[in-house]
Amino acid sequence: MTSSDPSVQAPHLTGCKSREQETFRCWWSPGSFQNLTEPGALQIQYWKKNDLTKEWKECPDYSSSVKNECFFNKNNTVIWIKYCVRLHSESQNKTYDTLCFELQDIVHPDPPVALNWTLLNISRSGLNYDIMASWEPPPSADVSVGWLTLVYEVQYRRRNSSHWKVLEHEFGTQQSIYGLQTGEAYEVRVHCAMRAFNHFGEFSDVIFVHVPEIPNKESTFPVTLVLIFGAVGVAILLMLIIFSQQQRLMVILLPPVPAPKIKGIDPALLKNGKLDELNFILSGAGMGALHSYPPDLYQDVPWVEFIELDADEPEPGEKDNQSSDSQRLLGHNNHHTNHGCFHGLSIPDDDSGRASSYDPELPDQETLMLMAALLSCQPNKVDTPSLDVLEVPCPGLQAPDLPPEGGERHLVQTQLGGPQSWVNMDFYAQVSDVTPTGGVVLSPGQQVGAPENTPTTKKDKKGKMEGGEEESEEEEERRTNKLKFQLLVVAPEAGGYTTESSGRQMSTPDPSSPGEVYHTFPPPSAESKPHQEAYLPATTLLGDYQSPYILPDSPPAQFLPPVSDYTVVQDVDFQHSLLLNPPSPQRSPTCSPQPPSKPLPVMPIGYLTPDLLGNLSP
Amino acid sequence: MNMMQVMQSVVWAVLLWPCLVSLGVPLECKDEQGSIILCASISKEKLLDRVIQHAELIYRVSEESCTLFEEMFVPFPMRSQRNQAGYTCATKAFPIPGSKSEIQQISDKWLLHSVLILVQSWIEPLVYLQTTLDRYDDAPDTLLKKTKWVSEKLLSLEQGVVVLIRKMLDDDMLTTSYYEQGVAPYALQPEVLESVLRDYTLLSCFKKDAHKMETFLKLLKCRQTDKYSCFLH
Repeated sequence: MTSSDPSVQAPHLTGCKSREQETFRCWWSPGSFQNLTEPGALQIQYWKKNDLTKEWKECPDYSSSVKNECFFNKNNTVIWIKYCVRLHSESQNKTYDTLCFELQDIVHPDPPVALNWTLLNISRSGLNYDIMASWEPPPSADVSVGWLTLVYEVQYRRRNSSHWKVLEHEFGTQQSIYGLQTGEAYEVRVHCAMRAFNHFGEFSDVIFVHVPEIPNKESTFPVTLVLIFGAVGVAILLMLIIFSQQQRLMVILLPPVPAPKIKGIDPALLKNGKLDELNFILSGAGMGALHSYPPDLYQDVPWVEFIELDADEPEPGEKDNQSSDSQRLLGHNNHHTNHGCFHGLSIPDDDSGRASSYDPELPDQETLMLMAALLSCQPNKVDTPSLDVLEVPCPGLQAPDLPPEGGERHLVQTQLGGPQSWVNMDFYAQVSDVTPTGGVVLSPGQQVGAPENTPTTKKDKKGKMEGGEEESEEEEERRTNKLKFQLLVVAPEAGGYTTESSGRQMSTPDPSSPGEVYHTFPPPSAESKPHQEAYLPATTLLGDYQSPYILPDSPPAQFLPPVSDYTVVQDVDFQHSLLLNPPSPQRSPTCSPQPPSKPLPVMPIGYLTPDLLGNLSP
Repeated sequence: MNMMQVMQSVVWAVLLWPCLVSLGVPLECKDEQGSIILCASISKEKLLDRVIQHAELIYRVSEESCTLFEEMFVPFPMRSQRNQAGYTCATKAFPIPGSKSEIQQISDKWLLHSVLILVQSWIEPLVYLQTTLDRYDDAPDTLLKKTKWVSEKLLSLEQGVVVLIRKMLDDDMLTTSYYEQGVAPYALQPEVLESVLRDYTLLSCFKKDAHKMETFLKLLKCRQTDKYSCFLH
C-alpha cells in the first residue's frame, strides 16, 4: 500500500463502513499522484460473491457531498456474503487497492442519542454522589427488530482531565456512575458497537455533570456518632473477650504463686505428718522424682522431733508401721531399701525377730528413706538384697548455717545391721558438749579420713562388682580398718559418752567449724563384698560431699584411734535412751580396734539420757 | 464449637430450603408423547427467549474463539482476509437470503427450519474442530474450552429449536439431529490446504452462521410481539 518513498503515496482505499448493516460506504484517497486527482480517474468497483458473473461492477453511487466516497444503498447490500471492492483506474487499467469484507463485519453504529443523567444519591458526608446516565440507541440502528444488537460503552472524565475513564460494556440503555465528587464538573459520553464485533462507532455528544457542594452543618454529628458507636463496640468486644477468656487472663495477669513443695511430694503430706505415704513416695514410687531436698526442709519437719524421746513404747517386735517414731527412725520396721548413696543409713529390721532394738538386720526403709530424703540426698539404688543400707548422696547441700547448739538438729543414726552396720551416714553430729539442761551440743566432728581419690574409683567400681574386686577389696579393707579406728567411737569413758577431748584424740577434729559435721561410718567389716561396695562409695564420696553436715576440710592422713568426736545412735532402747555403741557380737570382729572401749552399759552413744548427765565429765 | 457449626448449617439449610428447591427443580417437562426432549410444557415465549439466549451466547463465544485463534495462529497478513476473496464457507443446501428486506419476508416456518439446518450442520464440524485443535501444541486452554462449550450448547440449541418448531408450527415430523449434508469432513476449498487456515476458516464460517441463527431468531421474536413493525422496516 505504501511505496518506499513516504512522501509519495499511491491511491488506496481508506475504508468501508456500514452504519446500520443495511448500507455501507467506501472511501478512497487518490494519494499524491498528480495525474489521478481529477474525478473519474479512479473508480470503485465491487463484486459480490454470489454474483452470477464474475465482473466488477461500478460503484452505484458516488457521493456528491463527500469526496471520494461510494455509497451502497440497501438494495445492493446483503449480509453474510462477501464483498470485494477495488480501486481501479480504468485509463491505466490498474488496480491500486482491493478490499474484501462481509457486511456484518464492518458495522460501525451511529452514536446513541439523548444522553442524559439523573442524580441517584449523595453521600452523607456530602462529598460524593452517584448518577444514572441514560440514552437511546441510534435511530438508524434497527434494534427493535433485532437486526442489530448493540453494546454500549460509557466514558467519563473530569472537566480538565485528559484521561477518560471507561466503564464496562452495557447492553441496556442506562448506566450508573458512582463516586463522583461534588463541586467537580464531569463530562460523560457514550458510544456503541455491534455486539461481538467490537467496532465502536463514534461517540455521542458530551454531556456535563455537575453537582454543587452542599455545606453540611450536621457533618460533625455523624462523626461523633460513629466514634461513640465504635467505642461502644470495642468495649463490648473487650468485655466478651475478657469474659470468655477469664481463666486464661487471670493466669496471665495474676500468675499463681507457686507454693513451696518438693517435687513429687504433696506438701499436704508433710503438713499432716503422714509419714507412711511420704515414706512410700520417697522409697519406691516417687524415688525417681525426688531429686534434691533442700536442707531447710529438715528444719521444720516434725518427725525430727522424734529425736526427742517420745512417750511411745518401743516395741521391737512390732511389725506394725505405727511403732514409735524413734523406733521407726532407728529402723524397726520391715522396710529396707538399698541405695547406692554414699550416706548409708541402715535400720535394723523388726521382722527378723530380734527383740532388741538394736537389730543388725534389715533397716527400716521408711525411715531411711525419710531421713535420706530430708537430708536432701539423691538416693541411688543399689541392688543388693541383703544390704539394707540407705545411702544417699547429698551433693548439693547448702553451706552450713546451723547453730552449733542446735541440739535438735542432729539426726539419729541408726545402727547398721550385721556386717553392714556401719554405713556412712552423714547425719551424725559430734556431740561436743552437753548443756546443763540436758541438751546435747554438737560440734563439727572429725571427718572420716577417706582419701578423695579412692572414693571416685570406688564409686566407679560400685556398679560393676567384678574385675579387680580383690584389689579393691583389699584397699577397702585397709581403709575400712582405718576408718574403723576412727569409728569406734564411742569408746566412752563415761558410759557411752565420748568427750570432746577423747574424740579429738582419735581424730583431728575441727571444732572451729561452725557447722555440724557428720561422720560417716565406714563399713566395719570387710567380709561381704556388697556391703563394702555399698559402703565404700559412701565413705569415699564423703570427701566430695558438700553437705553442710560434713566438712571435709581436715583429711586425716593417719590412723586414728576410734573416733570419739561423734556419736552415733545405734539404737533406742525401751527406756528411750539412745544406744550409742551397742555391743554387737556381729560387729565386734570387724571393729577390731576397741581398746578404749569398756563394757558399756546399754546406753546411747553420744546421746545422753538425763540420768547420765550427771556422770558426764566435760 | 462443632455443635454450633452444625446448628448454623442446619439453620441456614432450613432458611434456604425454598431457594434450593426452586433452583434445583427444573421446569416441568411433561411431554404428551413421553419423549424426553426439553421441557415441552414451557410457554412459547419463554422457550423462544431461551433459544435466543442460547444463540446469542453461542455467537459471542464463537466470535471470541475466532479472535483467539486468529491472534495465536494466523499470521498477520492473512488476518481478516482483507485481500482475500478466496475462502468461502460451505454453502448449504438451500440459499439463505442476505438482504434485510428479503430476510424479513421469510416466513416463520422457513426461519425456524433454516436455523435448525444451520445448527445441525455445525454439530459435526465442531467436533472435528475440537480434535484438530487438540493437535495444536500451544493451543490455549480457553480456546479449547470455548469450542467444547459451543459444541455442547449447539446440541441444546438444536433440541430447543426442534421443540420450538413443534410448538409454533405444530410440526411433529422433525426429529433431532438429522443431517442433510454429509459434512463429516468439512468441505474444504481446494486452495486452502494449510491446517491453520482451514481451522481459521472453519471458525470464521461458524461465527457467521451463528450470527445468522441469532438474527433469524430475533427476527422471529420480533414478529411474535409486534408483527407490523417488524415487517414494515
